[in-house]
Parts: sequence; C-alpha cells; structure tokens
Amino acid sequence: MRTPREQRGENRGALIAVRITMVKKIKADGSPCRKCADVEERLKSSGLWNGIDEVVVADEREPDSEGMRLARQYGVDAAPFFIVEDGPGQVRIYTVFMRLLREVLDKPVSESDEAAEILDRHPGLDLL
Amino acid sequence: MKTPEFNVNAAAAELEGRHPSEILRLALGQFKRVAISFSGAEDVVLVDMAVKIDPRVQVFSLDTGRLHPETYRFLEHVREHYGVQLEALAPESAALEKLVREKGLYSFYRDGHRECCGIRKVMPLRRKLATLDAWITGQRRDQSPGTRAAVPLVEADSAFSTPEHPLVKFNPLSRWSSAQVWDYIRENNVPFNELHNRGFISIGCEPCTRPVLPNQHEREGRWWWEEETIKECGLHANNAAKIGGR
Repeated sequence: MRTPREQRGENRGALIAVRITMVKKIKADGSPCRKCADVEERLKSSGLWNGIDEVVVADEREPDSEGMRLARQYGVDAAPFFIVEDGPGQVRIYTVFMRLLREVLDKPVSESDEAAEILDRHPGLDLL
Repeated sequence: MKTPEFNVNAAAAELEGRHPSEILRLALGQFKRVAISFSGAEDVVLVDMAVKIDPRVQVFSLDTGRLHPETYRFLEHVREHYGVQLEALAPESAALEKLVREKGLYSFYRDGHRECCGIRKVMPLRRKLATLDAWITGQRRDQSPGTRAAVPLVEADSAFSTPEHPLVKFNPLSRWSSAQVWDYIRENNVPFNELHNRGFISIGCEPCTRPVLPNQHEREGRWWWEEETIKECGLHANNAAKIGGR
C-alpha cells in the first residue's frame, strides 16, 4: 500500500521528523475494524493523515499478513496501533491513539479523552 | 526502587498454581514501590493476606465520589481493622467539573460509562501508578468472561507502562473463583461490605451497580443498560481459523 506521503511524492516534513506506520485491522469476517476506521477518519478530518507514512493491514484471516506479523513482533494485541521510528533502531509503539496525538503529532489532547481510550482498550479496568 | 532484572515471564511460570498469599509475598518482597488497589468489595481478602506479610503494605482505593455509603463505611472499617493507611484517590476536579457542567451527573446512562470511569477511575489511577513500580489487583478471571477471561497472575502492565516507566501488575486472585474468595472470607473472619448481604456481588459506583438474581452473572449487576458488545479491537489470528473452519 502506498503511503499518503508517497502518493503525494513529498519528502518528509520538518515538523514530523519521524516515520509513522499505522497498523489497522481487517476482522475475521472480512469487515474493517470500527475503531481503526474511527481513528483514520479522525486523522483525516484533523488534517493529520498526511503525517502517516505508511498504512499496514493486520488481516485476521491471514496470520502472516504484514500487520499481524508486526503485532507479533512488537507484542501488541489490539488495533489500531502505531509504529514510530525516530531513527535507525529507535522504535516506539503507540497503542493509545491519544498519546500519539499528544506526543508525536504535537496536538493537544485532554487527559480525560486519553483516559477514556485507555479504558476502551482495557475494559476490565472499569471494575476496579 | 524496582528490583533489577524482574522477569515477568519467569515469574508467571514460577507463580502458576501458587496460593494468592505466595504471590503477594513475592510482589511485596520484590518491589518497594508497590501497592494494592482495593475496590471496597471482596478483594478485601488481598488486604487480609497482605498485612500478614507486611503490616505496612500500601493500599489505595479509587474514591470516585459516587460510591455507596456502605462502601465508604467499609473502607473506613478496613482502615481501622487492619491499621493500614488506606489512600483514597479522588478525581481531578477540573476534568470532573467540566464533565458535569457539559453533560450532567448521569451522562453514563446516555453516553455509556467509559467517559465517566475515565475521569473518576483511570485518571487518578494513572496518577498513582506513576509513583509505583508494581501494583496488585483483585481481578479474577471469573468476574467478566468478556474482559477478564485471560487475566494472568503477573503481567507487564500494558495499559500504564511506558518505555521510561515499566510497570508490573500482579493479579493474585486471578485463578480463584468467587466461591474460593468467599470461603477465605468466612474461614478467616474477614470483614466484608454489607452490600454483599443484599445481593450485590460486584460493587462499584452507586448509580452503576445493582444486585443480581440467583444464577445471574455478577457482571450483569454493572452497567446493565449498555448493550454488551464484542470487543473488536483485539488482534486474534485464531478467529480466522474458527470462522474459516481451517
């Protein structure tokens, strides 16, 4: 899949001096993951989609798909997630989208939004 | 200070089949900055076991501001009974005031409970966990088949760990059933929340908790108005095999 930046033929911008890969999921029944679609739409509507270098699909029907391989490699068990490469061998994994917004894409995020997303990812926490 | 080289996978293998008190002993022995998260329900057994190992054990509760009066009384009773310094973590006032101002006091009945729980539980919890290297919960596999079916005895906390601050989470009661917890409570004369006498099994905030009927799962006593949806974010390669029949 060509990256948004590649499609535009752009060089990496000065603002975001990292490479960002989004891993999104196709569910076992072939339908797209709703959360992944929500996140993608939010990136597009806020003008941040261009900051994503590559989009990789984790297809639950294909355990060897690139996204599933990356999930195994980085020990991630939920989608979407983001791989942020700061340089050779310097990789950060973001499973909380709000944290990516705040720490990498430099967008203000309320702590309550971030907390709600953590709960969304870890629903057992609400029983504490 | 965290003990160097704590290996979660090795600890998980070592702890399999151990009694919860042995798991607590390891957690309290390995970590200095460790605390028990106490919900004010039957996870009181953790406090009972822990004070026998270390009477100065740290215990905290998430004081959402919406707990039952019975739960507040119980928290105080536990503090006095065990002589522990029970820390009540309050929500951050600005975030809470904004939620109430914009959406009212009962937005969870309309919008779902995540936003409210995020402010009243997750934010204070995150603040507290930033000061710890490990924490201990009363999470059990049988509490919620959907969200807690795979609760391990010990894990690298995937919700609150950061590359700069790894966090270990112990769940000593993971393998115990509700019946085992209650056997322990009776055999050891452990105090319990009086709401349990009135049909409450899982106890949380007052507006979001109700008693359940015999044979109802305890999860049915929490957020009952919300449609149970399949958590669809998980990456499950096995699902393909199930659906595809491979």
